[in-house]
Amino acid sequence: MTDIAAGEGAQSDGRQASLRRFALSDAAFRNTTRAAALLVLLSLAGVAVSLVNGSLLAFSTFGFEFLVSESWNPVKEKFGALAPIYGTVATSLIAMLIAVPVGVGIAIFLTELCPRPLRRPIGIAVELLAGIPSIIYGIWGLFVFAPFLQRTLQPFLISTFSHVPGLSSLFAGPPYGIGILTAGLILAIMVLPFITSICRDVFASVPPVLKESAYGLGLTTWEVTSRVVLPYTRVAVVGAVMLALGRALGETMAVTFVIGNAHRITASILAPGTTISAAIANEFTEATGDLYTSSLIALGLVLFVITFIVLAIARLMLARLRTKAGR
Amino acid sequence: MTQMMTIEPATTHATRHATGRPKIEVRNLDFHYGTSRALKDISLSLPERSVTAFIGPSGCGKSTLLRVFNRIYELYPGQKASGEVLLDGVNILDRKQDLNLLRAKIGMVFQKPTPFPMTIYENIAFGVRLYEKLTKAELDGRVEDALRRAALWDEVKDKLDASGLSLSGGQQQRLCIARTVAVKPEVILLDEPASALDPISTAKIEELIEELQADYTIVIVTHNMQQAARVSRQTAFMYLGELIEFADTETIFTSPREKRTQDYITGRFG
Repeated sequence: MTDIAAGEGAQSDGRQASLRRFALSDAAFRNTTRAAALLVLLSLAGVAVSLVNGSLLAFSTFGFEFLVSESWNPVKEKFGALAPIYGTVATSLIAMLIAVPVGVGIAIFLTELCPRPLRRPIGIAVELLAGIPSIIYGIWGLFVFAPFLQRTLQPFLISTFSHVPGLSSLFAGPPYGIGILTAGLILAIMVLPFITSICRDVFASVPPVLKESAYGLGLTTWEVTSRVVLPYTRVAVVGAVMLALGRALGETMAVTFVIGNAHRITASILAPGTTISAAIANEFTEATGDLYTSSLIALGLVLFVITFIVLAIARLMLARLRTKAGR
Repeated sequence: MTQMMTIEPATTHATRHATGRPKIEVRNLDFHYGTSRALKDISLSLPERSVTAFIGPSGCGKSTLLRVFNRIYELYPGQKASGEVLLDGVNILDRKQDLNLLRAKIGMVFQKPTPFPMTIYENIAFGVRLYEKLTKAELDGRVEDALRRAALWDEVKDKLDASGLSLSGGQQQRLCIARTVAVKPEVILLDEPASALDPISTAKIEELIEELQADYTIVIVTHNMQQAARVSRQTAFMYLGELIEFADTETIFTSPREKRTQDYITGRFG
């Protein structure tokens, strides 16, 4: 009797001890993960603070003029960010215009239409495309792709649209090879794998029974894809597009090679231009004065803000899509 | 006059049989998943405007047989049917058969509710628009009619713009039935339509099947033998890919010819 009671007492003691041990390890685990999450906030805040701090000089010197002025003159120490902002937006826009339909199209083909033996080779090829370092896209763009465009696509565009009002200025000028369009095309190739691989995964996650019931109504593959598969996966698809856009906005190396690095805004997308990241990468070593350095940091801050705006728009679009679908 | 006399009875004879006229005739149907044979030489004929139930233990091939009727199995490589399935005398397994047209004629409702990611109204209007050009008013009428037929109208008439996904499971399933009915098919295939639902929703669906058989030829696959007994006029018992017995539901459940049928319906196996 006493033996049993003593045994029970020992047992409950042991249980309490292990409970205390669990509580301790639980707290340690909770705090570790919390610290990891806080680290993200801290580094984000740190980046933002140092960008603002570094760009104070430029903004106090030029004020709002910095954002709307096109002139970038290191000799006279006069700096305006409009040309790189324009170049960043224009190249990313061109890249998205091409990469989104092509990328989503590849994903649809791979999941819905592709004969089984072709599926793996194409999928692997797309993933390898993502693995190519951007410097290689850069030298390939400069030495192979740009001269190729200079000989073929650009003369064709110039002669085709030379008499179309509006479009003639968009495709005007001598075919340089390098320029906004070339950078946009290179970016399109670079972000394509992101869009394709995410879209392929989410398309494959659509429940087969949902597709069956759509086909069961007599829908064609096009109708099933456009009315059932895409709406079902739209949140993830928009996410993929935004991820790709974020990459296109910030891509530095390949763009620096092929964009021409000219601080000017031209109506023609065949003309050379520059982007924020290309300007920073190109000029950081030669930035001698404090104002020059500060202006480059200010450019970085602008890119930071643009990326934030893109993310905010993405959130807004998703919220709209949800209300539209009645969810 | 004498000619009239001879024709008349023949016509009445034909009309009398029209209700029991075979809608779907299966002849020597074999089905393969890759190399395994899932259906073995199935032959049966399903009468028009009546409910036929397929029963049998899991893996007996009843769902497979159902999936042959609208050739939905063709979405997956390696699945192959051979033999003949005649819909109104035309072989639908023929290569030349237009699949979209076939599936417009043969609607299907699945085990799990599958509302499309759009509003309740669109879930139904969407399929209709594919086949018919209707005015807004006509389309509204068609949507209401379909929802009424599926006994869902009263529950959703005030929130037609809500997402189909916002409904409960039972409502979603009735929405899927409404969607199928709205495109005016000739045959409705039900693949265990109530197996994921609660008893009240199940009762509603069964009532619905009862009403729908006035206009449609219905084939239902079910695990639930009481359900088969309640809703169907004919019952086919399948086992290991073979059609063991096919007769009036009453016959199957009261005096089955085969011992295996009797064992199954009395719960001795399966």
